[in-house]
Amino acid sequence: MKTTVIGAYPKIGDEPSEQELRRALHRHDRGELGDSELDAVFDDATKAAIAEIEAAGIDVTNDAQIRWDDLLAPFARAWSGVERGPLERFYDNNTYFRQPVIKDAISSDGQTLVRDYTFAKGVAKATLKAAVAGPLTFAALAQDEHYRSFEDRVLAVADAIAKEMRGLAAAGARRVDIEDPAVVASPRHIELAREAYGRLAGAAHALALVTYFFPPDAILESLASFPVAAIAIDVRSRDTTAFERLDAFRDKYVLLGVVDARNTRVETAEEIARYAERALRLVPEDHLRLAPTTSLEYLPRDVARKKLAALVEGARLVSGEKVPA
Amino acid sequence: MSEMLLPTTTVGSFGKPDYLTKARAQHGRGKLGATELEELERKATAEWIKRQEDIDLDVLVDGEMYRGDMVAYFAERLEGFTLGGLVRSYGNRYYHKPVISGKVGRPRPMTVSWFEYAQSLTDRPVKGMLTGPYTLLDWSYNEAYPTRRDAVLALAEIVRDEARDLERAGAKYIQIDEPAIHARPEEIDIAIEAMGIVTAGLSAKTISHICYGDFAAIYPQVLDLPVDQLDLAMANYGYRWLELFDRNPFTKELAIGIVDVHAHDTETVEVAAEGIRKGLRYVSAEKLWPHPDCGLKTRTIEESVEKCVAVVEATKVVRKELAKVAA
Repeated sequence: MKTTVIGAYPKIGDEPSEQELRRALHRHDRGELGDSELDAVFDDATKAAIAEIEAAGIDVTNDAQIRWDDLLAPFARAWSGVERGPLERFYDNNTYFRQPVIKDAISSDGQTLVRDYTFAKGVAKATLKAAVAGPLTFAALAQDEHYRSFEDRVLAVADAIAKEMRGLAAAGARRVDIEDPAVVASPRHIELAREAYGRLAGAAHALALVTYFFPPDAILESLASFPVAAIAIDVRSRDTTAFERLDAFRDKYVLLGVVDARNTRVETAEEIARYAERALRLVPEDHLRLAPTTSLEYLPRDVARKKLAALVEGARLVSGEKVPA
Repeated sequence: MSEMLLPTTTVGSFGKPDYLTKARAQHGRGKLGATELEELERKATAEWIKRQEDIDLDVLVDGEMYRGDMVAYFAERLEGFTLGGLVRSYGNRYYHKPVISGKVGRPRPMTVSWFEYAQSLTDRPVKGMLTGPYTLLDWSYNEAYPTRRDAVLALAEIVRDEARDLERAGAKYIQIDEPAIHARPEEIDIAIEAMGIVTAGLSAKTISHICYGDFAAIYPQVLDLPVDQLDLAMANYGYRWLELFDRNPFTKELAIGIVDVHAHDTETVEVAAEGIRKGLRYVSAEKLWPHPDCGLKTRTIEESVEKCVAVVEATKVVRKELAKVAA
């Protein structure tokens, strides 16, 4: 049973030795540290986070998103036509994001994440995947002073995301997570989301539509026809009927969010295995991957480490056992 | 106070003086004792009471010189909580998110002596300031209670006991903040049920501050929150929540945020006054309380003062207009 991560990993830990990035950012703010020195600290933190994910035994890692202030920030900073607005709470978390403000037609050079991906590729030993913000989420959380309709905005964002994905593919990324919680938070936009994903199809080899915070219950069967290779679902944040309906995804990989990335209580391996076994009633073993529900950055770093260890142990427990038919 | 038009107040926290910020850091490193730190917290509190009187605010707060975070302060004093590791809230800002690891309990009052001290320094009323049960839960990790509702209702009993102690100590205004109330709009009934436990039997005026979230998602249900006054960030949102009141009239007192606390620049008196005038279209002047959008703890002392001065001066302008109309 393979395992992977979702989204961002905690950037610092509680030990002073794990807080170099925090100190460096303060010094950079005070003008005591230059941009290139700060970059080196970001790179070191990225390397350390990837090493931690790998040490836990995770099969497919990402670059830990150490430079991302929030899911939308890298794109809001890089794209022309977009400025950064006020702080807002990110869904039902006491964590904030800076709201993008769309002032003009969005355009991207498609290179926003290439440098970070290339760096991560140089240090990762495990299989590496990239990640982008989903078009529906970016569009839904932005203020828009330019596009005439929500539809226009979503499709414009999708085109910019597609360009980022082609940039990543050219840099060697074969797998890309599209983190798009709005797809499940606002299921009424499912048909618009499908149209947007049509524009992402083919931009990289293996796309995963990553949902979290909310269950996919209202739209689960619709998601199955999205042009992506994998769907990630969070089965822990709220009650869900997904376990009884996973056969809808029969031609896709399912990334099952079984470790609650928003609560410090660490699951036992047995608990994780039980979730996996419920899914295995309807998903073939070679199409199931186990993952945290969302970014582990909602947890202190020491807890994130324990959560990853539990995830891997749970996955091994499943693989080592005969699963009842 | 009840007959006053447009009573002015603030949301609760103010910027800390440098000497206190340094002292708190030293205390954190074990280099300054609790007694010495408290002396400085009392000094800073007295300075803020004086400043609020000088600015001519009507209903004062103690300024929360002794609090870092509005949830951690309580979590550190309650049984059943442990302080978790560092978690990022935004940018390079981190906080220790509390963990509910056992049955919660209140060994002793947590805010009463600070209320008494602040009230002893002024003839103007000082608000008692609490964090509401729903926010205490939502901003903590729950490892102990089987459901979120179970945890919220257990916390409600604790906040109720603290509110009763504040009232016994003389508080005429008790504010129970619920900034997380719209985190999960489907749970608004839980927040309302819990607030009912907190405010049942209180004779003090009760207030709840709500900010930074999708207020539209909980309106008009939030009108069932059993408090006398809702305290809302409005300036930061371009007053768009007022439009909700067109369809479903607002039925409580409204503390209206007329200056944005996250901007360094202070609004002009005229801009702030226009905010009050907008509010007056929906709520009468006896029931409309001008104030800043949110706590001012992220601003410097000078910025905090400027923002409060803008609130008070704008209120004076609008009060004059109302007097002219009445005459």
